[in-house]
Amino acid sequence: MKDLSVIAPLYNEEECVRLLYEAIVRVLDPLHLDHEILFVDDGSKDKTFRIASELAQRDERLRVIGFRKNFGQTPAMAAGIDHAHGRILITMDGDLQNDPEDIPRFIEKIEEGFDIVCGWREKRQDKLITRKIPSKVANWLIGKVTGVPIRDNGCSLKGYRAEVIKAIPLYSEMHRFIPAMASIAGSRIAQIPVRHHARKYGKSKYGLSRIYKVFLDLLMIKTVVLFTSRPMVWFGVMASLAAAGGLLTFAYTIAQWSRSVGDSLVVLNGTAMLLGILALFLLFAGALSELVHKTGNLKMTTLADIRASFTGFEKQNLEG
Amino acid sequence: MKSAIELSVIVPVVERYDAVAELYGLYKKALEESRRPYEIIYVIDGDFGEVMESLKRLIAEGEKIKIIKLARRFGEATAMTIGIQHSSGSIIFTLPAYQQVEAYEIPRLIESLKNYDMVIARRWPRKDSLFNRFQSAVFHMFLNPVSEYKFRDIGCGVRVFRKQVAQEVSIYGDQHRFLPILAHKYGFRVREVDAAQSPKDTLKRIYSLGTYVQRMLDIFTILFLVKFTKKPLRFFGILGSAVFTAGFFILLYLLIVKIFQGVALAGRPILLLGTLLIVLGVQVFAIGLIGEIIIFTHAKDIKEYTVDQIIN
Repeated sequence: MKDLSVIAPLYNEEECVRLLYEAIVRVLDPLHLDHEILFVDDGSKDKTFRIASELAQRDERLRVIGFRKNFGQTPAMAAGIDHAHGRILITMDGDLQNDPEDIPRFIEKIEEGFDIVCGWREKRQDKLITRKIPSKVANWLIGKVTGVPIRDNGCSLKGYRAEVIKAIPLYSEMHRFIPAMASIAGSRIAQIPVRHHARKYGKSKYGLSRIYKVFLDLLMIKTVVLFTSRPMVWFGVMASLAAAGGLLTFAYTIAQWSRSVGDSLVVLNGTAMLLGILALFLLFAGALSELVHKTGNLKMTTLADIRASFTGFEKQNLEG
Repeated sequence: MKSAIELSVIVPVVERYDAVAELYGLYKKALEESRRPYEIIYVIDGDFGEVMESLKRLIAEGEKIKIIKLARRFGEATAMTIGIQHSSGSIIFTLPAYQQVEAYEIPRLIESLKNYDMVIARRWPRKDSLFNRFQSAVFHMFLNPVSEYKFRDIGCGVRVFRKQVAQEVSIYGDQHRFLPILAHKYGFRVREVDAAQSPKDTLKRIYSLGTYVQRMLDIFTILFLVKFTKKPLRFFGILGSAVFTAGFFILLYLLIVKIFQGVALAGRPILLLGTLLIVLGVQVFAIGLIGEIIIFTHAKDIKEYTVDQIIN
């Protein structure tokens, strides 16, 4: 077991690899920790993997994981986390926009007893309309829906206690929801401001198209969060709405009984029945997903056991 | 001795088979030409008494053949998986129990694996009837929008691939047919290589209606597997939202008509359609949500990435 693993996903970053490596080494060497650096090459089409492997040949603390093809940022992070040996894990962008100089402050916070430390970009150097505004909206929405007000979910520079992050399922665009998911298990979360540099090389690989994916993921997270606390709430609420609609329509039909004839009765009764069926379906769907949830091997519930001092999620921790 | 085997040839006997001894002779001759140490494994899926006897006779004559007989019919994918489990070579070569391509193409197919992880034979030039070609073309027309690599003969059982491919890509049911598509999705280098079709492969293939329905379902399954494995909510979510929106607009229209023209809702049968669509939309969405929960709770078991190389 090492003390520290620094994980950076790389995708077509041939200009940055060497600089990034040197910057990280410059920061880590004076700390005298038993550390490792993990570069995850996300199927780059340029020389990223070759340059990284050359560096790795000279420094055995640098490990390079090469994907067969481009799978995306979250899988790259997940691969880094799966292969890391550190007690503390730091994830960061591979494009030099995060500053490795911030790493020691993350380690300090984790030593203080926090499970997850999220960076937030104090002076963000990105385009306003395509990057900053959508990100503000997304952060606000994620905060509202999950109840975990993280300032900057999109910032990759984060620090984790290894056993916490290794228990969280990471796929699709889930890396944005790590804090929200971790909070389910009662992790303690801190936030610290970090430096952010304008992109010097290459161009941004992630654009606006993700917004709708984020939205669907958010809905899913909300469901799961609700499930862990109050089972079947989500489906139950929807089922009651449908049932109420059906009953009202039915009552209305009864009230109109004497006045209406033939066709209109069929239409109204039909509508009432459909809504009734929907209510039943949703109840069953709720029961089914309850079953799935219980039998699944979600390790998040065991997280609480890992943490001896289970304190629950405290909002003041987020002020940091 | 065993570790020296480089090439494992797997012949699944599933449905059709040609004269066993003759075909074995052809294959053997071609394999010897490729000058790689090899083994031949016959996987017999259920009761094929005739095949068993021919093989036993061949063994009695001194041929080195490995026979795996399954207790009952399990299907081609299972036969293939078991064959691969019992193989010792690093390269797997699957050959059907009936002749699909000319045997003399075999050494060339093996050689063409050099820079790839999987090579599948495309029967070309084709010798079979127009009807066969037509149904194959239709099948690929539906299939190809699903796959990134445009396959032209996915039904061909002659395939060479590295063992890793089978180990990392899990197949079940009838999916062995789609192994190349899944392998390509996982980032393996896959390509089709033309190989002359054997004249014996020209039998007219007319299947039962059920088989055709099955093929269509297979395409649907593979679409789902390739595009939405880990994102059921994206697929069902779009579908459900679309249906829901349609229903919503119908109801909106009815409401406007009622408010401004005083047409009673009860008098409009289309109210039923609108409600039905909304109900359906919610149901489809809910199914997507259940799917997503399944994935979420099992996400730690399913890797979304495949690693090519790890250094240090």
